[in-house]
Amino acid sequence: MIPRTFSAIAALLVVALLPSAATAHKLREQGVVVTIADSALTVAPPRDWNRLDGNIGKHVETWTLDGGQLNDLTFFAGIEPGKPLVRERSKKREPLPRFSASTLLVELPELFEATYRSAKELADFRVTEVQPTRFLERDGVLFRYEYVDPDELTRKGEAHAAIISGRLYMISFDAPRLHYFDRNIEDYRRIAQSARLP
Amino acid sequence: MIARYRLALASLALALASSVQAEPALPPPYAGAYQPQGVDEQGLWREMDEEERRYSQSDIMIRDQALNAYVRKVLCDTVGHDRCGATRVYVVRAPVFNAGMYPNGMMEVFSGLLLRVRSEAELGAVLGHEFGHFEARHSLKGLMARRSGGDAMAWAFVLANLAPTYDVVRTYRDLQLTIIGNYFRFSRDQEREADALGIAYLNTSTLRPQAAAQVWERLIGEYQADALSKGLKKPRLDRVAFYATHPPQVERATTLALLARPDGATRDDGAERYRAALAPWLPQLLADQIKLNDFGASEYIIQSLAETGWTAPLWHARGELYRMRGAPRDLVNAAEFYGQAIALDPVHAEAHRGLGLSLLKTGQRAPGQQALRRYLTLKPDAPDARMIGLMIPQEMSEP
Repeated sequence: MIPRTFSAIAALLVVALLPSAATAHKLREQGVVVTIADSALTVAPPRDWNRLDGNIGKHVETWTLDGGQLNDLTFFAGIEPGKPLVRERSKKREPLPRFSASTLLVELPELFEATYRSAKELADFRVTEVQPTRFLERDGVLFRYEYVDPDELTRKGEAHAAIISGRLYMISFDAPRLHYFDRNIEDYRRIAQSARLP
Repeated sequence: MIARYRLALASLALALASSVQAEPALPPPYAGAYQPQGVDEQGLWREMDEEERRYSQSDIMIRDQALNAYVRKVLCDTVGHDRCGATRVYVVRAPVFNAGMYPNGMMEVFSGLLLRVRSEAELGAVLGHEFGHFEARHSLKGLMARRSGGDAMAWAFVLANLAPTYDVVRTYRDLQLTIIGNYFRFSRDQEREADALGIAYLNTSTLRPQAAAQVWERLIGEYQADALSKGLKKPRLDRVAFYATHPPQVERATTLALLARPDGATRDDGAERYRAALAPWLPQLLADQIKLNDFGASEYIIQSLAETGWTAPLWHARGELYRMRGAPRDLVNAAEFYGQAIALDPVHAEAHRGLGLSLLKTGQRAPGQQALRRYLTLKPDAPDARMIGLMIPQEMSEP
């Protein structure tokens, strides 16, 4: 136990002393079309957002308004078959569920749920609604969910997803059920509407 | 009182040491409701009271009254009704094997523990162990560890504020948890003492004390199965919350078996009552486990639950597990498991859904659509009804 505590402190020390420019977040300005995670997916944010820095996956990008705990907008821009949605902490010991070539649209909420549960060690996660929708001008799925995070706050979420040329494209938004979800859900929906994939 | 108490503990330790002719352990006489003494302990209790006030309102609690009352009853049956009056039991929805006892008498029982024990005697063994920590007041002895932890945390906070990134703030939070966890982590000797007390309670109860050893045997089996399915050489037990400082399993199982009262072996372990009480929650707890993507452990748990007979929820859970892993061979197996669930319970809607999806994915279009149609008939207001509806041709009708 003690060595783990010390190594955590040492790691913190190292990270704390890194030059801040290397880890800066980026402002995503209103109306400026931007590409997501170096993919062909673009969005034109109707208001300013912050892109959070942090390597959570090769094709994944997270944006926020007030911080990731309060509003978490995540783009999954072309997850390849055989890959998990986000980067695994340990591929061997804590593997995450994988998107596969045979995954059906109706199974995407399950994949999302299992990823959240495994990555965050949740027990309480409910998919409350699954609807057909148009996303990126293709047939897609819209789903809504609710979960209790280990920080003991209940969060609500909504996501749009589609499988295009065998790859998974998805945008999800979650925020605390109290106040934050209702306040920004329309901002999320406008982002999802502005998403384009040539 | 305390001196007598120490004497009792010493005799327990002696019982542990002499492995050849161990006497079955008995708990020390009950000393009545304990009140904290001295500034350290009173402060600790006050802090815990505050934490309990917050925790009891938390969204992660399972508030089902029947389940809460049942878990409490098992604790009371184990440690005796006089002792259990000093505790409040909270059932927490968390998919891991764990239970905890706080110094002020607040006990938390994780739902993952309920999924992994098979009888009242087994549950009582774990709860009695936790209660042993409380009765022996082990956490007070950890105050020193907490004080030095406090220093480390203060420094970490300063450093975390120097850095502008989100990850560092996260790391700080993790560290905070680690140090708090450290504080509530008991030493190995304290664990042995709690084990001895736990089995002593069982010995004096009406439950079968021999069940205590089974809990650890099954748990070690689960971790081995998990490691095997992940291609690891051996499980990392030191990384598991409940295990970090707990005595090695072999030692533990042997000691517990030794300390169990031999004439208790014929007692009822309450497996039947336990199954009945947990039945309404079992599908939910199984789902919580399966969706964690721990194939080996989940399969082990399902198999061990099925030792007393396969049921529709068990077959369905197994189908879900295999369909989620999703290799072509898994889908064939999944379809078969869903079929077994339907054979036992023809109106199990979710089993029809799983069967339909598995069949579709293995190219069996017509029977797959038939199963999905049945799912919608059984559960027309399912959350995904419209989505599933799109997968069925409109002219097809219920056979």
